[in-house]
Amino acid sequence: MKLAVLACTGLDKAEGSVAREVAIRLAEEAGARIICPVVLNCTPARYKKALAEDRLIVVDGCAIQCAGRLAAAAQKKPAQKVIVSDVVKKTGATLGAGLRLGAEGLGVARMIVDDIEAAEAAACGRGPTSGEAPAGAEGATAAVRFAGPSDFIVVVHDKYEFRIPAEGFLFNANDVWVQVCGTRARVGISDYMQQHLTDITFVDPPPMGYVVEQFGELGTVESIKATFEVISPVSGTVVSLNQAVIDAPESINEDPYGAWIVELEPTSWEQDRALLVDGPAYAAEVERKASEY
Amino acid sequence: MAESTFMGVPRSKIPWAPSIDYEKCDFCMECDEFCPHRVFERRDGDVKLVVANPENCVVFCRACAKTCGPDALSFPDKPATVALIKRLRAAETALQAGPDTVDKKEGEE
Ligand code: SF4
Ligand code: SF4
Repeated sequence: MKLAVLACTGLDKAEGSVAREVAIRLAEEAGARIICPVVLNCTPARYKKALAEDRLIVVDGCAIQCAGRLAAAAQKKPAQKVIVSDVVKKTGATLGAGLRLGAEGLGVARMIVDDIEAAEAAACGRGPTSGEAPAGAEGATAAVRFAGPSDFIVVVHDKYEFRIPAEGFLFNANDVWVQVCGTRARVGISDYMQQHLTDITFVDPPPMGYVVEQFGELGTVESIKATFEVISPVSGTVVSLNQAVIDAPESINEDPYGAWIVELEPTSWEQDRALLVDGPAYAAEVERKASEY
Repeated sequence: MAESTFMGVPRSKIPWAPSIDYEKCDFCMECDEFCPHRVFERRDGDVKLVVANPENCVVFCRACAKTCGPDALSFPDKPATVALIKRLRAAETALQAGPDTVDKKEGEE
C-alpha cells in the first residue's frame, strides 16, 4: 500500500505553495503518489486506483479546503488532513511576503511533512517506542517505524504457551503474520508455528524485488523437524530482507514477532486484509489447532 | 469431529490437496514421511500410497511436493483457489447480512 497525497495548489496564496511543497516532499521522501487536484476535478477516473488503494493525505492551504472537498466528492476518507493556515496560526510562523516560498515557507513545509510522517509511523504500531524516536528528520527517509507488540493474548495448551499480539498484527490461516506500517508490510511466522517447527535452522527468503500474490509463497523456513512454506498474507513486492534473521534463524524461535523475514510494499492491502484475521480471532484459531493436533 | 473451516469456509468445499501422478511416483514415501497431517496413507498392492484424507491437507501448503524427487505431486491452481474462497466467503456474508447489503466495492457497474 502506498501513500497518496492530494494537496491544494492554491496559486493565489502562499499557503498554496506550501501545500504544493509538502506534496513534493512526501513524494520524494515517502514515495507518495501525487494526486493533482486540477486533474482530479476534470478527470476523476485518472486516480481511481490511487483513491481505491492508497492511504490518502489531504493538504489544504486555507479553510476553503478545496482538496478536502475533492476527496469528499470522490468518496475517499483521508488518513490524515492538514490545513496550512491552521499550522501557521498555531505555530506563529510567518510565510513572508509574496507567493514564492522563502526560507520561512520552506520551514513550515518541512515541519508539516515531519508531522505527517510521524503520524503515519504512529498509526502503525502504537507499542512502546521507549522514546527512542529519532529527533532529526534526516535519517527517517521512508515514513515507517515498526513497533513491537505491547499486549499479548496467551493460549495455554498442555505445557505449551502460545503468545499472540493483541493488536497491530494480522494473520492468515497459514500461521503467518503481517504488520503494516505506513506503506510497508513486514511478514513473519507466529509463535504457534515457531513452537510447532521447533529449532529453526534455515531461512530461505525470496529474492529482493520478488512480486508475490496474496497466499503465494514467500520462501521457506526450515527446522530440525520440518520445512515450512511461508504463505504470504499480502500481495506486493519484496523491498527488504531481514539479514539478521537469515544469519541467525534461531531468532525466530526467540522472538517470533520481532524476527520479521521480509518487508514488502503491499499492492492491494485494503482487499487483502479482508482475508486476514486479527489477534483475538487468530488466538481462537490457535486454540482449535492446538487441541486438534 | 467438528466440521473444520478454513478462512471461514467449510474445509470440505475447498478442493486443496496433492494429487499423485502414478506414472511418475516410485513410492519412495518421502512425502508421507514429511507431512505430519496424515494426508497420505500407505496401502498394500500395486498402488502403495494414496491421498486418503485430502481435507487434512493445509490449504495453500505445497511443502511435500519439494520432497518428491520424480515430481509426481501436483496441486490445484492457487489463484483459482483464492478466488473460490473469496466467492464462498462473499456468499456466506451475503446470506448472513441479507441481500441488500452485498458489498458493492468489487466490480461496480
Ligand atoms: S501440502 Fe502440506 S499439508 Fe498437504 S500433504 Fe503436502 S505437506 Fe501435507
Ligand atoms: S515423494 Fe513423490 S515419488 Fe515418493 S511416494 Fe511421494 S509422490 Fe511418490
